[in-house]
Amino acid sequence: MGEAIVITSGKGGVGKTTSSANLGTALALQGKKVCLVDTDIGLRNLDVILGLENRIIYDLVDVIEGRCRIQQALVKDKRFEDRLFLLPAAQTTDKNAVTPEQMKDLITELKRDYDYILIDCPAGIEQGYKNAVAGADRAIVVTTPEISAVRDADRIIGLLEQEDIEPPKLIINRIRRNLINSGDTLDVNDITSHLSIDLLGIVLDDENVISSSNRGEPVVMDPNNPAALGYRNIARRILGESVPLMSVDTGKPGFFSKLKLLFTK
Amino acid sequence: MSKQQVVTIKGTKDGLILRLDDQCAYSDLLEELGKKAQDPGLEGAVEVQIHTGSRYCSDQAAKEIIQIVQSAGHLRVSKIQSDVITMEECNQRVQERQSETYIGIVRSGQEVRAKGDLVVIGDVNPNGHVSAAGSIYILGRLKGKAHAGNAGNREAVIAASWLEATHLMIADQMETMTDELAILSEHPEMECAYLHTNGVIAIDRLQDLRLLRPGLSTFKGGC
Ligand SMILES: Nc1ncnc2c1ncn2[C@@H]1O[C@H](COP(=O)(O)OP(=O)(O)OP(=O)(O)O)[C@@H](O)[C@H]1O
Ligand SMILES: [Mg+2]
Repeated sequence: MGEAIVITSGKGGVGKTTSSANLGTALALQGKKVCLVDTDIGLRNLDVILGLENRIIYDLVDVIEGRCRIQQALVKDKRFEDRLFLLPAAQTTDKNAVTPEQMKDLITELKRDYDYILIDCPAGIEQGYKNAVAGADRAIVVTTPEISAVRDADRIIGLLEQEDIEPPKLIINRIRRNLINSGDTLDVNDITSHLSIDLLGIVLDDENVISSSNRGEPVVMDPNNPAALGYRNIARRILGESVPLMSVDTGKPGFFSKLKLLFTK
Repeated sequence: MSKQQVVTIKGTKDGLILRLDDQCAYSDLLEELGKKAQDPGLEGAVEVQIHTGSRYCSDQAAKEIIQIVQSAGHLRVSKIQSDVITMEECNQRVQERQSETYIGIVRSGQEVRAKGDLVVIGDVNPNGHVSAAGSIYILGRLKGKAHAGNAGNREAVIAASWLEATHLMIADQMETMTDELAILSEHPEMECAYLHTNGVIAIDRLQDLRLLRPGLSTFKGGC
């Protein structure tokens, strides 16, 4: 029986889809069987980042409305043999086409065949969010080091805490070295203590994230990329390994050593 | 019947007390009060307290009495006191003396309300809201909104381990914590907010609370 993890944020554009694609790929690289589920109905783009756009035939709404079986809708990423699949979102229908109960049944079915189901959640706290969270066993909240993103993360964490799932964990994405050095951004410590949840990891801001997404090749496949390292470390922590937090070379020694990193499965 | 004194005047060091008979008809009382208020012998006496004994004094009646007593111009009613209250008022007072405890973070968009005092063990984050008819005590950082005395209790206070609220409200007074505000401290650790006698919200060190609001302490006995 696999585990379903929803990747959510509240604020849009902070890197939910990028994180889903990269963590899914990283887990597949580690030999796990992974299914990515895009629940951003009407605004799908997980398929593009994975380079699978052209191979979509059926989508999530087709499955839920019984027009096809799950297996027919799943798109296989050939780079990973039988380890990475995508269930694409519908591009045309509106997001009220799906109910939380239907999502729950769908995810439960997928959990039989996969080690990890990563659910890419749409921005906001409406129907799309409720659907995405419905089948999840745990949640990852993505934020960037900006006050507005952190505020929305706080709101989402409050909502997630009402759900019957494990306490959510945090990813801080798009950390910029130069801003940290100049003190022009919220530091990792401020954010985690403000939100008071466990930090799952940090990901540096890197332009290759954008260019590799455009090529349909998640950046995590490049072992030398700094953002990729962040995603690989997070994947290892999801698998239960204890990996120390990477340093952001801030010139302030001991800065990150203060951080508690607790991720126990 | 009309010979009987229904309003007795008593002088004390704190001013005059008008003791109202609690057996006679209310209309007789008002009439007599009117006469007494005009009594030239009372000239110069400013503050009066009114005791209604075992007669229930509704808000409406209180208004009428104050109006009649003050109509002569030289008297001011500082307080109306009755020995009886309604069940409802009594229940409300009991509830206001009770304390509820919330353990956890009050996050953005969440609201925690209490009918009496409220104890929060955890932070109140920006856009989080705590509200109580009594006082609010926060073992954590208050970074959102807090409203103490939300049913009108002006004695209620807001105390926090770290007080950097965006909005503070006590009874019907509100203060937004903008940077221009002089009462804000650099290091807002262990502070409390209360309604100053001048009617605006003030912030002080937590250790001053026992002097500012001695009535809040329910602890009896020495130590
Ligand atoms: N670590 C990073 N470094 C550089 N760019 C990044 C990084 N993470 C995300 N981005 C870029 O930020 C943009 C938004 O990312 P993404 O689409 O993953 O966000 P999202 O949270 O899924 O957005 P939405 O709320 O619209 O679904 C994309 O252009 C992506 O390439
Ligand atoms: Mg997205």
